[in-house]
Amino acid sequence: MRIRVSHRTVYRYDKPLSRVIQTLRLTPRPHDGQHVVRWRIDVSEDCRLEAQDDAFGNVTHAFSADGPVSHLEVLVEGEVETQDTDGIVRGAIERFPPSLYLRETPLTVADPPIRQFARDAVAGREGEIAVLHALLGAVHEAVVFDTDPTHVTTTASEAFGLRRGVCQDLAHVFIAGARSLGIPSRYVGGYLHRSDGVVAQEAGHAWVESWVPELGWVAFDPAHSISATEAYVRVAIGLDYLGAAPVRGTRFGGIGETLEVEVQVDQAFHQVQS
Amino acid sequence: MLSRTADNLYWVARYVERADYLARILEVTMRLTALPLAYVGSTNEWDSAVATAGCGNGFFSHYSEANEDTVREFLAFSAANTSSIRNCIELARTNARAVRTALTSEMWEVINDSWLTLKKFGKGPTSREEFMRFLRFVQETSLRFDGSAYRTMLRTDAYWFFRLGLNIERADNTARILDTKYHLLLPEDTHIGGPLDYYQWAAILRSVSALTSYHWVYRESLKPWLIADLLILNPKMPRSLASCYDNLVIDCDALAEAYGRQGTSQRKARGIRTRLANSRMTEIFQNGLHEFITEFISNNNELGSAISRQYLM
Repeated sequence: MRIRVSHRTVYRYDKPLSRVIQTLRLTPRPHDGQHVVRWRIDVSEDCRLEAQDDAFGNVTHAFSADGPVSHLEVLVEGEVETQDTDGIVRGAIERFPPSLYLRETPLTVADPPIRQFARDAVAGREGEIAVLHALLGAVHEAVVFDTDPTHVTTTASEAFGLRRGVCQDLAHVFIAGARSLGIPSRYVGGYLHRSDGVVAQEAGHAWVESWVPELGWVAFDPAHSISATEAYVRVAIGLDYLGAAPVRGTRFGGIGETLEVEVQVDQAFHQVQS
Repeated sequence: MLSRTADNLYWVARYVERADYLARILEVTMRLTALPLAYVGSTNEWDSAVATAGCGNGFFSHYSEANEDTVREFLAFSAANTSSIRNCIELARTNARAVRTALTSEMWEVINDSWLTLKKFGKGPTSREEFMRFLRFVQETSLRFDGSAYRTMLRTDAYWFFRLGLNIERADNTARILDTKYHLLLPEDTHIGGPLDYYQWAAILRSVSALTSYHWVYRESLKPWLIADLLILNPKMPRSLASCYDNLVIDCDALAEAYGRQGTSQRKARGIRTRLANSRMTEIFQNGLHEFITEFISNNNELGSAISRQYLM
């Protein structure tokens, strides 16, 4: 599937900011099921955009701009050609052994309710694949998709307590549960081409990759209760949302910030496989 | 476009690139053997030239010993060697003539001129100076041919088949040099920095015309692991494996777009490029440089046959 992505982030300030620094994790890397045809980042201020790999191998771009800036726009757009690999991620960059992804982070602490929930969900299942699919279904059932109650810093246990959350929260709950069962799991940020034809989205998508010894990393999407298909564009990985966050940064000045995010994911044109 | 036409275009590019590569190998070997033995050690460089050219078996069925005369004769002029420079240029011209109308007149003139000039060299020059002139002539042919294609060809499927042939041959050639010389590039090689190594390393770089580029990129003396990095993973170096595959992916994509369909060639090229883009030199050394290169060569050949199956027959 040839997927075209356009992701625009617009910041507006009542009082202009004097300086801004941001790190963008917005560039996908190729792996066996994903080929980046073209990709570019466009920042509305004159600045140097330096590409580097972070510790996980994600491509990051850092830039800084001096103000006064009252309107800052970061546009990312590109085209990615994907293939269905049954959720198995091969040929990606691997900087660490899988066991690193057992590490707990503040956003993915498995508190007793989550531990109990994970244990109950997989009771009687044998083998990682069966366990993970049981957990996937259970998380999808238990936590209702709702954009209202949670925000970017909501932890897994808070979202689980509310039984509500967005894809990010569902991913955190899944990660906490899987790690509590001893299965290395990591957070994946990216884009999803929606099968219902909705092109304009409010944000990117998030899902999880878990380590299955005989298969390698396998992608699970608790928001849709499926393994990742060719509709998924994998951009960045991390231990939790903060590690894979598309934009992180800081600013001096700039009072009254309003943020506008516009993500468009659609199919470029249909190519027939021979 | 007819598969036959695509096949001719693809092979014109491959043969011209191969002739250029053989000329480089011969030039570098002449250079190395011109040095005093104390500098380059007692290894037989002519043996290694034959191995790098990838025609060890053919050579030893015709000659018993690899020395300057026999190797020069075999790699440059022998009619018995299907991949000798003479045969490469002749085959390139035959392929070009078959698709004369698919080439621009500039390209045709270059290849036809070289073929006529080749005849003047007869059975091969005897003096070293004359032979060096011959090697320069071959390298210039490929520069002119490649340049005229770049400057005059329409960017249609014909051009992309031409580029496909060129890049796949180029990747194969660089990998072959690495395959024959990999032992010189291993970091655990103990006598690092000896004159022997220095000349050998410089020779590797010269054979892909990268000696100056090396100093531009790394700004330090020759280090084997950096040479390996330059030739394998550096996408800025035109003959590196990474750069060849960046280009192969572009060429394959352009064909997929032109024909509105894609297949094994595109997937294969992207897969290999992904592997190169996601590798680091330390990991390659850890898992074995030789294994990496052997695998690359077989992958590259697989891509070659995938292209043949998909487009050329």
